[in-house]
Amino acid sequence: MNAPHPTHAPHDLRRRGFLALAGISLAGALGACSGAATATTHLRLSSWNIPTDLDTYQQIADEFVADHPGTSVSVEVTSGSFHQWFITRLAAGLAPDIIRITPQQIGRYAANGSLVDLGGSSATNYRDDYSDAFWAIGAREDGLYGVFQHTDNFITYYRHDVMNEIGVRPPTRLDEAWTWDEFLAISAEAKKVTGQYGFGYGWSGAQTAYRWMPLIYQNGGSFLGDDGETPSMDSDAAVETLTFGRRWYSEGLVSPGNMAKSGGGDVSRTLFLTGQIGLMLNNPEPIPQLDEDLPDGWGTAPMIRNEHEASDLGGNALAVTRSSEHPELAADLVARLTSREKMIQFCHEGNWLPARSSITAEDIDYSEHTETMQRFIDQGTTIPLEMVRAQTSRYFSSLNTVFGDYLDLCFLGELSPQEASDEMMGAMRDVTSQ
Amino acid sequence: MSRPSDGRRRAALAPWLFVSPAVLLFLGFSLIPIIIAVTLSFQDTAAVGDGDWVGLENFTTMADDGLLHTALRNTLVFTVGTVPTAMIAGLGLAVALNRPLPGRPVLRAAFFVPMVAAGVVVGVVMAWIFHGDYGVANNLLEALGLGRAPWLTSPTLSMLTLIAVVVWTRIGFCMIIYLGALQSIPQDLHEAATVDGASAWRRFRSITWPLLGPTTSILVILNVVFSLQAFDIIYVMTGGGPGFSTTVLIQYIFRSAFADARMGYAAALGLLLVALLLVFTLLRQRASRRAEELT
Repeated sequence: MNAPHPTHAPHDLRRRGFLALAGISLAGALGACSGAATATTHLRLSSWNIPTDLDTYQQIADEFVADHPGTSVSVEVTSGSFHQWFITRLAAGLAPDIIRITPQQIGRYAANGSLVDLGGSSATNYRDDYSDAFWAIGAREDGLYGVFQHTDNFITYYRHDVMNEIGVRPPTRLDEAWTWDEFLAISAEAKKVTGQYGFGYGWSGAQTAYRWMPLIYQNGGSFLGDDGETPSMDSDAAVETLTFGRRWYSEGLVSPGNMAKSGGGDVSRTLFLTGQIGLMLNNPEPIPQLDEDLPDGWGTAPMIRNEHEASDLGGNALAVTRSSEHPELAADLVARLTSREKMIQFCHEGNWLPARSSITAEDIDYSEHTETMQRFIDQGTTIPLEMVRAQTSRYFSSLNTVFGDYLDLCFLGELSPQEASDEMMGAMRDVTSQ
Repeated sequence: MSRPSDGRRRAALAPWLFVSPAVLLFLGFSLIPIIIAVTLSFQDTAAVGDGDWVGLENFTTMADDGLLHTALRNTLVFTVGTVPTAMIAGLGLAVALNRPLPGRPVLRAAFFVPMVAAGVVVGVVMAWIFHGDYGVANNLLEALGLGRAPWLTSPTLSMLTLIAVVVWTRIGFCMIIYLGALQSIPQDLHEAATVDGASAWRRFRSITWPLLGPTTSILVILNVVFSLQAFDIIYVMTGGGPGFSTTVLIQYIFRSAFADARMGYAAALGLLLVALLLVFTLLRQRASRRAEELT
C-alpha cells in the first residue's frame, strides 16, 4: 500500500524545520537577552535630562569601566514624574542600579528598603569632607543610603537699575544680609520703581513648595520636631513666618501668580527679566538666562535672614537601588562620582555647587561668575541640619504636598496664618499617622 | 503525514489563534492590571507587591476624607462645566460647517487641531497665555482698557479658566462626530419640511435634533469619561491649586499613589472612579432605551 498523500511529507518537514529553526532562534535570542552569552557586568545610572550632566556622567563612567575590565555603564534619563517613574520600575525590579535623587525624595526610599546601604563602600571615608547637614542627606541610623553630589541654595538677586534708583547698596557678606524688615522695606521701594511688584520667589511648581521652608528656620521655628517626624508648624515662630509670607501678597510686594503651586515654571525669573520686580530670592539656575537677556544688569547679595540664617536645600545625591544585581560595584561607581576630583569635574562642567566642604569656587574654576558661585557655596553653610533632617524624613514627599497646599491658601488670604497653621498641622498629622 | 483529525484540530484551533493577540493584550493590559488594582485596594502599601491586608479600611477612609470630598465636588463642577459647553459649541460649529462655505475643509481641520495637540503642550502654552503678569490674555484686556484678571490665581476663576481651555480642546471632537451624524440625515426630510413651510429653527428642532439623539448619547458618555479622566492640562496649569480649588478626582488619585505613596488607597479611589463611570453609563443606557421606546 502506498503511503497516503506523499506530497504532505515535504510540506510537514518544511513546517517542522521552520518551527525547529524558529525555536532555536528564539532560544538563542533569549539567551542573548539574558546576558548569558557575555561576561560583562552592566550598570545603569539614571539622571535628570540635563545634556551636560549626562555627558559628564558618561565620561566618568567610561573611566570607571577602563579601571574595571568586564564592566559597562550606561547613562539613562529619569523620565516624567520621579515617584511614578521610580515606584513602577522598582515594582518591576527594573530600576537602574544608580539613581540621581533629590534630598526631598530620598527619605521615603531610604526608609522603605528601596535603596541599598552603602555603609561597606569606600564612600564612607568621605564623611570628614562633608558638613553634618550634607552628610545627613544620605545617612540614617541604620546605614548610608546616598551620597550628596552637588547642591544649590537661595540667595538674593537684584537689578542694578532698581537698586540705583532706590539708592541702596546691597550687602555682600553673610553677616550683613538683609533682615526680614529691611528686605520688606527695600521691596516696597522696589515696587514703587517697577510699578508692579517688589520681589519674587524661586518656586518652579508644586513639588518645590519646600523652597519656602528656610524662612521658618530663619525665624527660629521648624517644620518637624527633633525626631524628624512630629509636625511642628503650630509654634509661634511658624505662625509668625506664615504671617510674614501673607504680607508679601497682601501688601502687593509679590505677584499672586508667583506662588508655590503656580504653573509655568519659575515665574520670578520672568518677572525679574521683564523688570516687573527688582529683587528675587532664587537658586543659581537663572544665571545663564540673566547673562543672555540682562547682561551686567544684575547682581547678588546673601539670602535674607531674621533671627537666624537659613537657605534652601537644593541639589542631588546618588544612591544604589534594590533592583541592582551588582550593588558593590554600583557603590564603587557612586564613590568614584562623589570623589573630590570627580565632584570638581562635575561641578565645573555643569556649573553646579559642590557638596564637599573643602571645594571652593576657585578649585572648580567656573567659566564665569566665580564670586557669585562662591557666594552660593558660602550660603550653603547656613542650611540648617534640622531642616535637612525634616526634608529627608520618610514622610517628606507627602508633607511637602501638604505644605504647598496650605501656603497657597494662606498667601491668597483664604485662610489666616493661624488657620493655615491649624489646618496644616491636621493634614500633617494625617500623613505621619499612616 | 496528515490525518483527518489533524485537519479538524487545526480548524478548531484557528479561531483561537486569530483572537489570541487580542486576548493576550486584554489580559496583559486590562484584566491583570484590574485584578492587581482590586487586590491593592484591600492593602496598605506604598508600592506594588508588598502590602499588608487591611480589609475595607481604604474604602471606609473615604467617608472622612475631606480632600476627597473637595475633589469630588470639583470633578462635578468641572464635568458639568465642560460636557454641555463643548457639545453645544461643537454642534453649533458642525451645523455651520455642514453648509457650503469657502475654506470649509481648512476651518474643519483648524477646529479639530486642539484635539490632537498633547495635553501637556496645551497646558504649558495656556499657562503662559493666562498668566496674570505676562500672559497674552491680560495684555489684551489691558489694551482694551480693562484691568488684569486673575485667571489662574483666583480660586473661582481658575476653575472657569480650566473649563474654557478644556472645552477649547474638545469642541473639534464634538464637531467632527456631529458633522458625521448631520451628513447621514436624509436631505429629503429637510426638503419636505421646507416645502411645508417649516423655518430653519423648526427643521432643526423637529428633524435634526431628534435624529442626532444616538450621537448625542454617545458624545455625552465620551465627554463625561474625558472629563473624569482629565489630568494633564490641570496638572500643568494649576497643579490643583490655588489651594484645592482645581483638584479633581483623577489628580487626587495620582497624588495619593505617587506623592503620598498610598498605593492601596489610590487603587480604592480608582475603583470609586470606575464605579462612578459604571453608574453613569448604566443610567445613560437606560435613558437611551426609554427614549427609543417612546419614539
